[in-house]
Amino acid sequence: MPNLVLLASADPAFNLLAARWQMALTLGTHIILAVFGIGMPVLLLAAEWRYLRTGDEIWKALAHRWSHVFAVLFAVGAISGTVLSFELGLLWPEFMRQFGPVIGFAFAMEGFAFFLEAIFVGIYLYGWNRLSKWTHWWCGVPIAISGAASAWFVVTVSSWMSTPRGFRLVDGHAVDIDPLAALLNPSTGPQTVHMLVAAYIVAGFMVAAVYARSLLIDGKCEYSRRAMALGLTMGAVMMPVQFVVGDWAAQSVAQVQPIKLAALEGQFQTQARAPLRIGGLPDAETRTTPYAIEIPGMLSWLGYRDVNAVVKGLDDFPPQDTPPVATVHIAFQIMVGLGVYLLLLSIYAGWFVVRRRRLPEGRWFLKLLVLAGPLSIVALEAGWVVTEVGRQPYLVHGVARTADMVTQAPYVGWLLLATVIIYGAIGAGTIAVLRLLARRELPENARGS
Amino acid sequence: MAPESILLVVVFAALTIYALLGGADFGAGVWEVNTALQASPKERKLLYSAIGPVWEANHVWLIFVLVVTFGAFPMAFAAICQALWLPLLLALGGIVFRGAGYALRSYSSDDRRQQFAWDVVFAVGSTAAPFFLGASVGALASGKLMLTDDGRFDGNFLTGWLSPMAVFSGFFVVVMCTFLAAVFLAREASNLADEELTRIWRQRAIATGIWKGLLSLAGVVYVASDAPQLWDGFRQRSWPLVAGAMAAGFLSLDSLVRERFRIAVGAAAAAVTAVIWGWAVAQYPLLVPPSITVEDAKAPANILWLLIATIALGSLLLVPALGYLFYLFKSGGRER
Ligand code: HDD
Ligand code: HEM
Ligand code: HEM
Repeated sequence: MPNLVLLASADPAFNLLAARWQMALTLGTHIILAVFGIGMPVLLLAAEWRYLRTGDEIWKALAHRWSHVFAVLFAVGAISGTVLSFELGLLWPEFMRQFGPVIGFAFAMEGFAFFLEAIFVGIYLYGWNRLSKWTHWWCGVPIAISGAASAWFVVTVSSWMSTPRGFRLVDGHAVDIDPLAALLNPSTGPQTVHMLVAAYIVAGFMVAAVYARSLLIDGKCEYSRRAMALGLTMGAVMMPVQFVVGDWAAQSVAQVQPIKLAALEGQFQTQARAPLRIGGLPDAETRTTPYAIEIPGMLSWLGYRDVNAVVKGLDDFPPQDTPPVATVHIAFQIMVGLGVYLLLLSIYAGWFVVRRRRLPEGRWFLKLLVLAGPLSIVALEAGWVVTEVGRQPYLVHGVARTADMVTQAPYVGWLLLATVIIYGAIGAGTIAVLRLLARRELPENARGS
Repeated sequence: MAPESILLVVVFAALTIYALLGGADFGAGVWEVNTALQASPKERKLLYSAIGPVWEANHVWLIFVLVVTFGAFPMAFAAICQALWLPLLLALGGIVFRGAGYALRSYSSDDRRQQFAWDVVFAVGSTAAPFFLGASVGALASGKLMLTDDGRFDGNFLTGWLSPMAVFSGFFVVVMCTFLAAVFLAREASNLADEELTRIWRQRAIATGIWKGLLSLAGVVYVASDAPQLWDGFRQRSWPLVAGAMAAGFLSLDSLVRERFRIAVGAAAAAVTAVIWGWAVAQYPLLVPPSITVEDAKAPANILWLLIATIALGSLLLVPALGYLFYLFKSGGRER
């Protein structure tokens, strides 16, 4: 608990801490809603498409009910997104002043994507009875596209903060700006794709988890089975893809952000034939990472496709430039560990489908699936901690330190406290409403057996 | 035309549309403060259905204003965020509560007590947001923000924005929103041929219209006494717009009395538009008075042109889509 004296203080060091937590809290919340904004439309379209093809009322009931869930999540996502738009200026005014022109383009494109999304969300949600069936379906397509597009553009900003390109800094002003070079910086490819795939994974596994739980509690029901199948399919198909993309992300980090790689792996000393460390607790005092299972040469291979490659250690960088190692390393272990869990589950489901021509519904499998939903969110958050904390102490890597960019306004601590309370209340309200939606009776003809 | 001028026009045009559409949404929320206790279910339904489908789209205009401002005029954006952080934060709080109240009540149970709780959250948020947005604009327009020559804020972070003009503008914008909402709703009720609701909203529109007229006169006094620089701009350049705003205001009142709702809506919108552009023209070339001009704040020319190209191309998609949305839900179309 931050103590009250500190909350009221205008101490710059405390301001920085509070502003970072504020950013982490609000972005961390927004990203959960955003992944549903990206993934849910795809599931909605799939369900509605099945209905249009088969005329089966169960699919329609699914699509119709999911559209209400989507509406709530979208509205809350829009609020949390608006908070972010303001916050960038309110918390990091120097950042906006110096780099606004460089990243403004990406945000403008993001703005357009939201606009299209919001328009078609209005049409889709309120158009069930006003449009012909296929027109209605087609009005859902722009939602899925623009949701993904908005995420793509905003993540380019994050990748640019890690590997800034496309400008020169002269007297605190960005000059010679090349917005396209900024947009398409070296991290953009792997980061944006990795994020989008993560969104489909999380949305898929969360939906699957909700219905796995209702299958466990209420027993067999055609409606829940199909809902689970749809979610699980999306998540399980995307999961192997994510391994390939994650490997791409790791190689990109090795090449263009060597300091982040060293933090990821708890690599203090520069070393040829560097080992991959599984687990372990980096110790900044002794400059070692004890308690890890080490696979010799594996890190060199993963990063550079050569078991003998030299991996630079943290000690080769100036100490004032290194990120908090333990946080980054542990977060990375969590993401990859959970990735392995989700992958095993996906492989099992795939194997079962190939062998038996239907989805597994054993109690153990369902229980593991219920866990997989929330765990996929944990993996998502952990991945962001890796990216964001691994970039510290810079806000724009190598160019602008976080401490120099923070607002001088007082009372950021109070703001943080208020945000925690308000977000808590809205979160509780949202969950209550979603539960209410879940308890609504199904239409008679959609119950199935 | 210089690229920064084009983008300045774009920003103010988007702000105008937000003031009209978002403003009417806010206004409908303010009315709920008054009507939450005794409103009939029918009245409630009109209020809800008027906002529903276009809610998100109306809100995005604000986001659009923000992103274009910070892409095109980063220095102005930073200065505004620093100097006005408190009122902007309070406005943001209003937007958050309003959005949450709206989303959660639409889908929450029919239990009246729960609905009522969200209604209150919604109504309070709906009043706070326009008040503090208006106060921010007023504080900006007053020219009293303590900005250094390189555009950094050098005043008191808590009270630096407060001035009579800021407080007045807060109230003015709230009344403006309630007026817009009442006029728009009167028209929707008359489109639905519901005589009782039409009568109620017509009365409300006339009453707030008179209020708004009186406040506008007071506004002239405030500008003259509290914002001398802006006053000069009004006298020298933008007096036709101010006069136009007054005339449009009278026309819309007159049409309300005569029950010509389409004209009333158009005239009310014209009045609001004229006020916003009157302000813009009066303070040009300053963007953030007293020290930041458009010239100081603009991003490099290649960025500006890129933004313009993006907006132009994007509009090719957006304008038809928006048109379709409004055609579906605002042209009095019936359910199938
Ligand atoms: C469902 C979520 C999820 C899963 C299962 C994984 N990741 Fe991930 N990862 C993310 C979700 C995520 C993320 C939250 O989306 C991040 C944060 C920033 C980004 O672009 O993606 C991320 C970042 C991120 C980064 C940092 C990129 C940077 O900072 O430039 C690396 C190196 C990896 N991931 C590597 C992996 C590997 C090797 C995985 C194999 C198991 C893996 N991720 C699974
Ligand atoms: C949506 C996914 C994102 C999540 C979950 C996320 C998470 C975080 C976290 C955990 C921190 C705290 C870092 C620390 O305490 O050291 C942080 C800081 C920050 N992030 Fe992100 N981030 C995301 C995307 C972005 C994007 C797209 C931007 C674009 C501007 C951004 C801007 C910042 C800023 C300005 C800070 C504060 C400075 C700092 O401590 O690095 N983040 N974010
Ligand atoms: C990398 C992390 C981010 C991702 C993936 C992301 C994605 C999304 C998505 C998909 C939506 C659609 C609304 C929904 O379905 O809930 C959304 C909403 C929004 N986001 Fe983010 N966003 C991210 C970070 C940010 C940041 C840093 C900002 C700040 C500028 C921001 C601003 C917004 C705004 C203003 C909205 C509301 C748009 C509306 O009203 O429809 N987002 N975001």
